[in-house]
Amino acid sequence: MEGLFLALEHSGLGAAMRESSFLYPLANVLHILGLAGFAGAIAIMDARLLGALAQMSLGPLVARWRKVAMIAFAVQVVSGFMLFSAEASAIVENPVFRLKVLLIAIGLANVAVFELVTKQGLGDSVDGSPALAAKVSGTVSLLAWFAVAAAGRLIAYF
Amino acid sequence: MAVMTRFALAAVAAALIGAAPVLAHHGWGSYDASRPLTITGPIKHTTYQYPHVHVMIDHDGNTWEITLAPPSRMEARRAVLAVVKEGNVMAAYGYASTSRPHEMRAERITVDGKTYEMR
Repeated sequence: MEGLFLALEHSGLGAAMRESSFLYPLANVLHILGLAGFAGAIAIMDARLLGALAQMSLGPLVARWRKVAMIAFAVQVVSGFMLFSAEASAIVENPVFRLKVLLIAIGLANVAVFELVTKQGLGDSVDGSPALAAKVSGTVSLLAWFAVAAAGRLIAYF
Repeated sequence: MAVMTRFALAAVAAALIGAAPVLAHHGWGSYDASRPLTITGPIKHTTYQYPHVHVMIDHDGNTWEITLAPPSRMEARRAVLAVVKEGNVMAAYGYASTSRPHEMRAERITVDGKTYEMR
């Protein structure tokens, strides 16, 4: 595993990220803009799951904002990989980076549970008071993704 | 509306949980700002790269890795590669890392009588 991260760091991408005058700042900016888009889309879906925005049906709302979240997530994966490649072998040892990866896994697992289990029982309900399972989904999502963002910012401090 | 309030409270709580360690760190995280030190000597090695420029200088029998600013900020402060190149004598004022031995973060550097702020 260690060799894999060293190889990434020593790859053309890793070298370009360290040596180019604009790539590292560009990836940094993309990672912030991607975060803004992702957090916004997530917050809208989670607010709906917690009972706000009840005038919109759950199904169409999630379908629309899930797309925005997925595009933003793709931006995060690409820009994050760029930043990671510059110092892969050091960052992979960083305790906060490891925590962030764990939190991303929790966030994605929560999406899977919502899609495969929770959503089946919800339908396109316009009821203002969603089921407890929906509220749990929304709460876990908010906490997990906000914690991912906080951990990401803190990698540089450890 | 009650649910909206609860949502807002949950969001604020999450933000505070995330912000607490940041407040504790005052920006330069794992560096001991209470005990500044100055390392002076010829630069043995320079890596002028993102995310931070690093130079190596021998000090008290150890080789110290000194973390400077990102290349873009170095250039904005006129601390270009020629200023921090190998062989130049540098005085670096800054703070030792609390987690990595013999690494320091420079607050400012002085080369050839000129001082460059790194923050």
